[in-house]
Amino acid sequence: MSIVAPPATDNRNAPRFAPAKMRRIVLEMAYAGSTVHIACAFSIIELITVLYRHHLRYPGNDPRAEGRDYLVLSKGHGVMAQYACMHELGWLDDSHVQCYFKDGSDLKGLSDSRVPGLEVTSGSLGHGFSVGVGVAMGLQRKRTEQKVYAIVGDGELNEGPIWEGALVAAHHKMDNLMLIVDKNGFQAMGTTDDVLALGDLAAKFSSFGFETLEVDGHDEVAIDTAIRRLWASGPSKPKALIAHTVKGKGVHFMESDNRWHYTRLNAQTFADAINALGLPGAST
Amino acid sequence: MREAFSNALVRLALADPKVLLLTGDHGYALFDEFRKRCPDQYINAGIAEQNMVGMAAGLARVGFRPFVYGLAAFVPIRTVEQIKLDVAHDSLPVVLLGDGAGFVYSHLGTSHQSTEDIACTRAIPGLEVLSPADRFEMTASMDRAYAANGPVYLRMGKSDRGDVHAGPVDAISPGRLLQIRAGRADLPGLIATGSMTRTALDLAQERDLSVWSAPSLKPLSVQDVCAAARNSSGLVTLEEHSVLGGLGAAVTEITSEHQPTRVLRIGVPDRFSEHCGTHAYLLREHGLDIDSVRARLHAFCQDTAPTAAATLTA
Repeated sequence: MSIVAPPATDNRNAPRFAPAKMRRIVLEMAYAGSTVHIACAFSIIELITVLYRHHLRYPGNDPRAEGRDYLVLSKGHGVMAQYACMHELGWLDDSHVQCYFKDGSDLKGLSDSRVPGLEVTSGSLGHGFSVGVGVAMGLQRKRTEQKVYAIVGDGELNEGPIWEGALVAAHHKMDNLMLIVDKNGFQAMGTTDDVLALGDLAAKFSSFGFETLEVDGHDEVAIDTAIRRLWASGPSKPKALIAHTVKGKGVHFMESDNRWHYTRLNAQTFADAINALGLPGAST
Repeated sequence: MREAFSNALVRLALADPKVLLLTGDHGYALFDEFRKRCPDQYINAGIAEQNMVGMAAGLARVGFRPFVYGLAAFVPIRTVEQIKLDVAHDSLPVVLLGDGAGFVYSHLGTSHQSTEDIACTRAIPGLEVLSPADRFEMTASMDRAYAANGPVYLRMGKSDRGDVHAGPVDAISPGRLLQIRAGRADLPGLIATGSMTRTALDLAQERDLSVWSAPSLKPLSVQDVCAAARNSSGLVTLEEHSVLGGLGAAVTEITSEHQPTRVLRIGVPDRFSEHCGTHAYLLREHGLDIDSVRARLHAFCQDTAPTAAATLTA
């Protein structure tokens, strides 16, 4: 694997991971690769940037450092959001953005654990969380301070293994594990309410034995505060953060329009989307 | 054979504290010794096999050596996708232990019977497949599963058919056939795996045939299969598994390309069990009892080696 160029920086203190900039990278990748799942990436941008900016620890800025925290992107469809952050960390460079989906390239359309920085192979839903539960169990047995974050989609909660894993995480008191639900209200074919209603997710995870909070998934300060509160909430319980998000967030004509689960950008929509981000000097 | 399994597991776990046993709430008496001697390395993951295999992958990612136990109908069959994606894709050292393979649960019906597990696991890249025939092969298979330090499926079938080896076998080299009987080269040779190896040996003694045991099904040695083909008038494969995708298929994949010969695949026809009954009953239902196999073997001998076969009946 040719990827990995770790400059030795401490990512926690850098004023980086600006959401609009991350969205621009997603758009550039999606346009370069003529790919889909843009809206799936946009709903988790603030969640993932707050994690990289304030919480995830990578000793030596090494994506494979033994003492790292683990970010498990169980909803592999949002992987471009993670690529954008990995670009910011210097783990990916501009050529990875420009050559997205080119023949022989390394970055796939769904999370692939062979790429340093990605912990699981997902996209077949309901896999990553279980692997994250296993990582959390292993770290718990090793008595380390490392944390595991697992981002799952609300549509992904249709999958049975998520609930198997939730039982196991609570039973084994995995207080080093945080489940983050990207509750954007949509799945591939429609709203989650129409396809398979999830009911009160906070109540569900609380009843499973999770310490649970709900948050506006696009308010970076609120997300950061909620994550800190959850970790401070005391031992013995896994954590669940129900993040209320907007699918396609950040580009007004994509927001809550489920066509952007599947739609590819053309020259016009790419330019419109970049402009909609409101970045200085972004006019194309 | 089950005692050999338990002993090996306890021995490996005592030697390496990273070894963990995960079970999907199965193995009640089987793990008594393990739970007594390695209680901290025993994890009952609940009746949740998919999560259990994913979790084993996570444990392996942070340095543990999970052995994941279930009935073969569930591990691997229920969890094939987790094995493919979570375990094998990254060559993680997870050992999958599928117990009761074949018709061990003869009275319980299709849900607990497993005749497709070899076919499903063989096609997963990088996944090694083991299928011991007796207690000696079981011990060696457990050692091989640990030494492989990668993804392994170990198939555990009917365990009370008796020994096929006189004593402990050497360390298993992946894919090697173990010759357990040398017989006539002008008659068919038998290659068997798991529970059917005893049947193969019993029949071979009646007719002075060669028998090879195949405790390691994937990879499978091209060299050994070709040698067996060269030293016989044809090959007969025996397995308590579907004739599709198992040992018979693996042997014919090799012979058809490297050493063309007639191959009679004896295994479970493309059908589910119809009725309930003892293990012996179900073997009869599927044509795997010794009398049915003897009849097919006889016909195959007549077909592939008529002159030599005539000396048998004379």
